[in-house]
Amino acid sequence: MAGQSSAAVARTGGNPFLKAVAALSTLAGWLSASMIVIAVGLTCQMIFIRFVLNGSTVWQTEAVIYLVVAATLIGLPYVQRLRGHVNVDLIPLMMGPRLRRNMAIFTLSMSILIIGIMLFYGFEYWHFAWDRGWRSDTVWGPKLWIPYLAIPLGFGLLMLQLIADLVAVIMRIDAPFGLEEKG
Amino acid sequence: MDPLTLGALVAFATIIVLFSGVSVAIGLLIVSAGFLIVFDGMRSLELMPEIFFGKLDNFALLSIPMFIIMGASIASTRAGADLYEALERWLTRVPGGLVISNLGACALFAAMSGSSPATCAAIGKMGIPEMRKRGYPDGVAAGSIAAGGTLGILIPPSVTMIVYGIATETSIGRLFLAGVFPGLLLVGLFMAWSLYSTWKSGNTAVMSRTVYSWKEKLEILPRVLPFIGIIIGVLYAMYGGIATPSETAAVGALLCLLIAMIIYKLWAPSALWTVLRDSTKESVMILFIIAAAGVFSYMLSSLFITQAIAEWIGTLEVNRWVLMGAINVFLLVAGFFLPPVAVILMTAPVLLPIITTAGFDPIWFAVILTINMEIGLISPPVGLNLYVINGIAPDIKLKTILMGSLPFVACMVIAILILCIFPGIATWLPDAVMGPSF
Repeated sequence: MAGQSSAAVARTGGNPFLKAVAALSTLAGWLSASMIVIAVGLTCQMIFIRFVLNGSTVWQTEAVIYLVVAATLIGLPYVQRLRGHVNVDLIPLMMGPRLRRNMAIFTLSMSILIIGIMLFYGFEYWHFAWDRGWRSDTVWGPKLWIPYLAIPLGFGLLMLQLIADLVAVIMRIDAPFGLEEKG
Repeated sequence: MDPLTLGALVAFATIIVLFSGVSVAIGLLIVSAGFLIVFDGMRSLELMPEIFFGKLDNFALLSIPMFIIMGASIASTRAGADLYEALERWLTRVPGGLVISNLGACALFAAMSGSSPATCAAIGKMGIPEMRKRGYPDGVAAGSIAAGGTLGILIPPSVTMIVYGIATETSIGRLFLAGVFPGLLLVGLFMAWSLYSTWKSGNTAVMSRTVYSWKEKLEILPRVLPFIGIIIGVLYAMYGGIATPSETAAVGALLCLLIAMIIYKLWAPSALWTVLRDSTKESVMILFIIAAAGVFSYMLSSLFITQAIAEWIGTLEVNRWVLMGAINVFLLVAGFFLPPVAVILMTAPVLLPIITTAGFDPIWFAVILTINMEIGLISPPVGLNLYVINGIAPDIKLKTILMGSLPFVACMVIAILILCIFPGIATWLPDAVMGPSF
């Protein structure tokens, strides 16, 4: 079946590297959840100002957008750790244990590669904005390097969690694709 | 290479990559990067993070985590059980009232939570044992809950509809309204089938009913009305032009959390964290696919694939209904393997120009697409709902659940046909409330 794997959180097996990455990803998850909560609060505050106090709002809409973008990017490693990114595990399910393990190693390596590319160019993009002092072209006009920081940060942490997942599969600490052997 | 061949190659590569078991969003990034490198050069990779960020830089997306929080806080409470009990007490005089009230509870809870598996779990935990105890056939008991659960992605507020609206730049308000009558049509068909098959099984004893006093009927209301009130309030605020979907969803999320805390005493930080963690997990998963699908559709259009396919379909001299039939089969197959959100995001950029060229209404098409996705939720091999039911009623064989769900799949196919003959069922309400779209 596809959908979120039924298997629970990625296992660390007491390995210090895996434990450290797990802690980091969990911290990122907390951050991400808090940003979503702040976005809820800010939106409600904005509506209150606009419809109850009849005032006008300047920065809230943009701030809320950046919060949700940041929550998404920074939440990536945590959701990876919870195995919450949906996949189609029909073929891996049909594979024998050896083939499945090799497949997991292959797909994780490909994932690390593509996220590495996103990290590299994402860092460049952020650095551009920082170096040239880009500002958003709104009345509020925040410095764009601040929201853009979520790109290298999110992809960096996601890459770390993917590497940890790869290590766990290679060291046989965690089951490939989080699929437990039957029987 | 001509864009059409390239398109076929992309489709093939995407299927291979997704079936390898890599996560959907990352898979889309891999395919996009691969084709961009080969056909557009390394430099085009530079744009990927920018496009990724740009796709997320949209206020409308806020409604996704907000509606998910709304649903998760409702799902974390006993609201499902209360709703079920309330309907049972109120509908007890209707013949076959139990299966009717189960389907009604599924429809209402699905609308409130917007989540199919959550609906199956919440209503099924109470409903399936109760129906079996009273002698309903196992297949009807399991199938009606599995099918009833799928209604969440059609009846507003629906996250699937929001995702379609964002992917195709159609009005979310219109899409929500378009789902109302088709949703009711499905509920009606489901109820009709359940009653018929129960009657046919010859067990008329199940038609007997317990009688509830008015006191029992009234005392349950205070626990279910607040949530229903919020949903109606949110929809009213949207259509009254008071606020945008994102803004009303934020207020709805806050209110649902507060009600869960006050009425259902969801005070413990760990319980609140569970709601937030689950919402964050689901929102991030969907938003990641949205952003990755944005990169994917950028790749498709920068290699002129989207344009070429739309043009090619335009030159094909096929009947538009044959075309619609082919699109339905394609969506159905995609829905067998992939979650609704992923199917919509991957196919919308290609399908939308095709259906508008063929003269179909994109709002109406959203409903057709969503019912296709509902079928995927109760068909193997993915059929998330089947496995949820299997989890809560382990002594019913998966095969019985599957066979029990099949007639409901037929109901959905009939609903699609009815909607093709009478598209007004979907388009009348949005046109009546918001004015004609064209």
